[in-house]
Amino acid sequence: MLPKRFDQAQPFITLGIIVLAWLIVPTAAKRLMRLSFFEFQAPLDISAATVRDVQEFWSLRTRSRNELIEAGIDLAHLNAKYETSIQRNAALEGEVARLQELLKLPSYTEYRAEPARVARRDFNVWWQRMVIRKGRNYGITEGAPVIFVGGVVGRVRVVHAYTSEVELISNPGLRMAATIEGDTRPLSYQGGNNPTFGPAKGTVEFVPLDVTATPSASRRLVTSGVGGVFPAGLTIGQIFRVDPSTDGLFKTGEVRLDPRLDSVSEVTVLIPLQTD
Amino acid sequence: MAEKSTERSGGLVESHKGYDSRTIFFYFAVAALLTALTSGLAYQQLFKTDEYHEKEKQQNQRRILVPGPRGNIYDREGRLLVGNRPRFAVTLHLDSLRKEFRKEYIKVRKAYRELEDKDIPNSTQLAQIARYSVVQRYLDQVNASLGRSEKLDAKDLNRHFHGELLLPYSLVDDLKPEEYARLIEQLPVSSPLQVYASSTRYYPFGSAASHVLGYVSANEEPDSEETYTDNKLATFNDKNTFKMRGTIGRDGIESEYDNLLQGETGGTVYRVDPAGYRAETLYRHVPIQGKSITTSIDIDLQIAAETALDKNRSEDDTVVLKSAAVVIDINTGEILALASNPDYDLNDFAPRLSTEKAKVITDNEAWMNRAISGAYPPGSTFKILTAVAGLHNGWLTPNSHFDCEGHIVVGRSDFPCHNRHVHGNIGIRDAIAKSCNVFFIHYGSQTGGEALAAEARRFHLDRPMGIELPHETRRMMIPDEVWKKKERGESWYPGDTANMAIGQGFVLVTPLQMASFTASIARGEVFTQPTLEHQTNRTRQRTEPIGFSREQAAALRDGMEECIKTGTGKTLRINFKHPEIRVAGKSGTAQKRTAKGTINYAWFISYAPAEKPEIAIAVMVEGDKADEEYGGGTYAAPVTGSILQEYFDKKSAAKPGTIAQPPKPATSPAR
Repeated sequence: MLPKRFDQAQPFITLGIIVLAWLIVPTAAKRLMRLSFFEFQAPLDISAATVRDVQEFWSLRTRSRNELIEAGIDLAHLNAKYETSIQRNAALEGEVARLQELLKLPSYTEYRAEPARVARRDFNVWWQRMVIRKGRNYGITEGAPVIFVGGVVGRVRVVHAYTSEVELISNPGLRMAATIEGDTRPLSYQGGNNPTFGPAKGTVEFVPLDVTATPSASRRLVTSGVGGVFPAGLTIGQIFRVDPSTDGLFKTGEVRLDPRLDSVSEVTVLIPLQTD
Repeated sequence: MAEKSTERSGGLVESHKGYDSRTIFFYFAVAALLTALTSGLAYQQLFKTDEYHEKEKQQNQRRILVPGPRGNIYDREGRLLVGNRPRFAVTLHLDSLRKEFRKEYIKVRKAYRELEDKDIPNSTQLAQIARYSVVQRYLDQVNASLGRSEKLDAKDLNRHFHGELLLPYSLVDDLKPEEYARLIEQLPVSSPLQVYASSTRYYPFGSAASHVLGYVSANEEPDSEETYTDNKLATFNDKNTFKMRGTIGRDGIESEYDNLLQGETGGTVYRVDPAGYRAETLYRHVPIQGKSITTSIDIDLQIAAETALDKNRSEDDTVVLKSAAVVIDINTGEILALASNPDYDLNDFAPRLSTEKAKVITDNEAWMNRAISGAYPPGSTFKILTAVAGLHNGWLTPNSHFDCEGHIVVGRSDFPCHNRHVHGNIGIRDAIAKSCNVFFIHYGSQTGGEALAAEARRFHLDRPMGIELPHETRRMMIPDEVWKKKERGESWYPGDTANMAIGQGFVLVTPLQMASFTASIARGEVFTQPTLEHQTNRTRQRTEPIGFSREQAAALRDGMEECIKTGTGKTLRINFKHPEIRVAGKSGTAQKRTAKGTINYAWFISYAPAEKPEIAIAVMVEGDKADEEYGGGTYAAPVTGSILQEYFDKKSAAKPGTIAQPPKPATSPAR
C-alpha cells in the first residue's frame, strides 16, 4: 500500500521540496533570479515589438504611390509648421532665460529627450503600465517623466538593462501636481480605476471652489512644474466635471485623458540633466 | 398494544404502550421554557434594542466631526473682505501604523536587551519610544522632500495617540503651494503620509476694517454645540467623538454674526476594532459652508479713511495717533466706513496670533474700537446741539445776536472764547463758523441744562446706538441735575450748563454717536439708526422731525457751511478738491484733565452735499502729548476732506455728470 500511496503523493512532495529549496536559497540568489527574469524576457519583448514594426512596415508597403505622395505632402506641411514653432520656441526660450537672469529667478530643471518605442502592454494592466524598449543602456532613470504627442504618458517606475516599465497616467497609483491652464493654484491629479478597453479617466482634487467645468466647457489640466518631477505646461487631460468635495473646502473633478494614450507606440522619456 | 417478538429482532422486544399522562407535564414544561425564551428574546429585541445599539456603538463606532467652513463677508459692492483660504498640512494616520509600531517595539526592546542595560524602560515607555522612532522616520522623509529640518514633539505625539488616534496627526503645518505640490508628486498614493487641507480665514485687504470685521480663534470649548442636519452624526456621545477643531468669532462681525457664519458640521462614522484602530467607514456627511454676509462697508471709503487717519502721527512720526472715523449714509443709516486707529493686520490671526504680535497689539492699545467703545468729550461739535436746543425751545432765533467780548462770566467761572478771540456782535451763522464760545454759553445758559440734556436725549446721545458690533460702550454721558446729585452728591451749577453748552464738562459721546447725530441734523430728524447690514433697496429712514422752520434749518446749515468756507473747518478743502460740492461741518477741540495733564481731542463733524445730504462723517483724533493743542480744524478736518474726496471721486466715476461742475470762466466778457 505504501509505495502506491507515495506515487499518488509524488506531485505534492515534489512541490514541497521545491518550496523548501526556494526558502533555503539565499536572498541574493533570489534577487538575481528575479532581475535576470526581466533581462531574459527583454529580448523576447523587443523581438515581438520589432516583428510588430516589420508587420506595420509591410502593411504600409501595400499603400499606393499616390497615397504616399499625399502623405508626404501633408508631412511637409506639418514639418514647415513645426519648423516655425521651433524657431518661435527658441526665441521664447531666449526671452525666458533673459528674464530669469534679470529677475534672478532659479532656472527650471532641464531635460534630455530620449525617444523610445513601446515594447509591450499587457491587457490585464492596460491602463496601469507599459514596457518601453530602452533602459539603463540609454541612461533612463527611475522617476523620469514620459510624454507623447498628446501630453503626459506617465513616469518611469522600474529601469532594467534594456527595457523600462512606465507607470501610466491612468494608473490610480500615480499622483502628480497639476494646474488648470491659466491658473497658478496647484491641484492634485490621480489616475482612476479604468477598465481595459474603456476610455481612460483620472480624478483631480483640491480644485478651488470658483473653478467650473462641464463636458461642453472643459478645462485643460496641465503639469504644474513645481512638484519636482514633471516640467510645467504638459497636458494631462481635460477636466469635464467638478463637484463639491467631502470637506466642503474644494471641488473634486473628473479628467478625460487623451484617447491616443490607448494606442501610443512612440514615447519620449525626459531625463533630468545633472546641474552643477 | 400486543407485544411482538420476531426472529429478526432477536431478543429485543419492542413494546408500544398507550399515551402516558406523565408526558403532559413534560410538554407543558417545554412549552413554558420556550415561551420564556421567546418572551425574553422578544423583550431584548423589541424593548432593549436602543440600549444594545447604543452599547454597540460605544464599543465599535467612532465619530469624526469636521466643522464646516465659515461663510464669507463682503462689502456693499460685493468685494470679498473675509474669505477662507485652504491651509495644507502633511499628516500621518497613526492608526494605520499599528504593524510598524509593533515591529519597532520588538526592535527597540531587543536593542535594549543586547545592551544589557539594567534600566530597561517598561513596556509603556518602550511603546512610546517605538512610536516616536517610526513617526520621526516619516517626518525625515517629509524633511527630505521639502528641505526642512522639522523635529517631532514627543509629548504632543503621545497626547495625540491616546486622545485622538483616529484623527490625522499633523507633521508639518501651513505648507506653501510649492511644498504641497512637491509632496503630492513625491509621496506614494498608498503612503500613510497624506496632504490634508483645512480652512483658515483670509483677509484680502489686510488691516482694513479690522475692528469691524473682527477675528476668529480656535474653538477651545470642548462641549460647544454643533449644527447638524444629519441624525446619523448627531446620535453620538462625546466619548466616541473625535472633533477637528473649528473656529469661533471673537470680535466684530465675526463675533456678532457667529451663528450665521458658522458652517454646518460634517463628519464620518467609522467602525473600529477593540484596540480603537479604524476598521471600516460606515457613514460620511459633507460639511457645509456657513452663510455669507454683505456688509454696508464700502472698502474704498474705509481704506481712504484709514489712510487719512494714519497721516496723523506723533512728532517723531513713529506712533499713529489714536483716532476714529465714521462715515454714514444719511438716508439709510448704513455705515460706509468705520475706522479706528491704531489697528492690526487680520492676516496675523490666521491660523493663530503669535504671542509677540499679540503683545504689540496690546502695547499699541489697538484692541479697542475707538469708534464705538471710546467715549470722549465732543467739544465745540456739541454747539450744534446747543443751537438746536436753543432754536427748538425758542431762546435762540435765526436773527439772534450777542456781543462777544472774548470771554463770559457764568457764576464764579470766567470762560474765554475760542482762541481768546473777541468776535463782537455775532449772529448764529458766524458763531457756528467761528466757534464762538461766548455766544453758545450765553444762549445755552438761557436754554438751561435740563433743556440741553433733554434735547441730547432726543437725539439718542445718552444711549448706545445698537450697532451690530460687540463692545459698544455704555459710558456715554449726557449729564443733568439728577445725575450729578446721585453720582457726585453735588448740585448743578450754572458753570455746568455753560460747560455742557460747549461740549465740555461731563458730556461724553462716541464717534459713532456723533456721525449718527450729524446724519440726523442733515435729514432734519432726531435719530439715525446706524447699521452694518447692507440692503440693496433699503428705504430712507424716517424718525421724529426736529421741528425746525425753514429759516431755522437754513440758519444752522448756513453756519455749518460757513465753517468750511471761512471758519475753523476750511482746512477740509486741503484734501477735498471738488469746489462745486457744498459741505456743512463743525470742528471741535475738547479737553480732558488726566494724571498726565490736559489731553486734547480734535473733532470734526460734517455732511455733504449741504443742499441734498448723502453722507455724514465724524472724525475724532486724540492728542498724544499732554497740555498741547490738537485742533479739530488741523487734525480732523483734513481726514474728512480725504474721505469726501474718495466718495465724490467714486460717484463721478460711476455716473459721470452726477456732480455739478463749476461754471467755466467766460472767454470774453459779456457786453
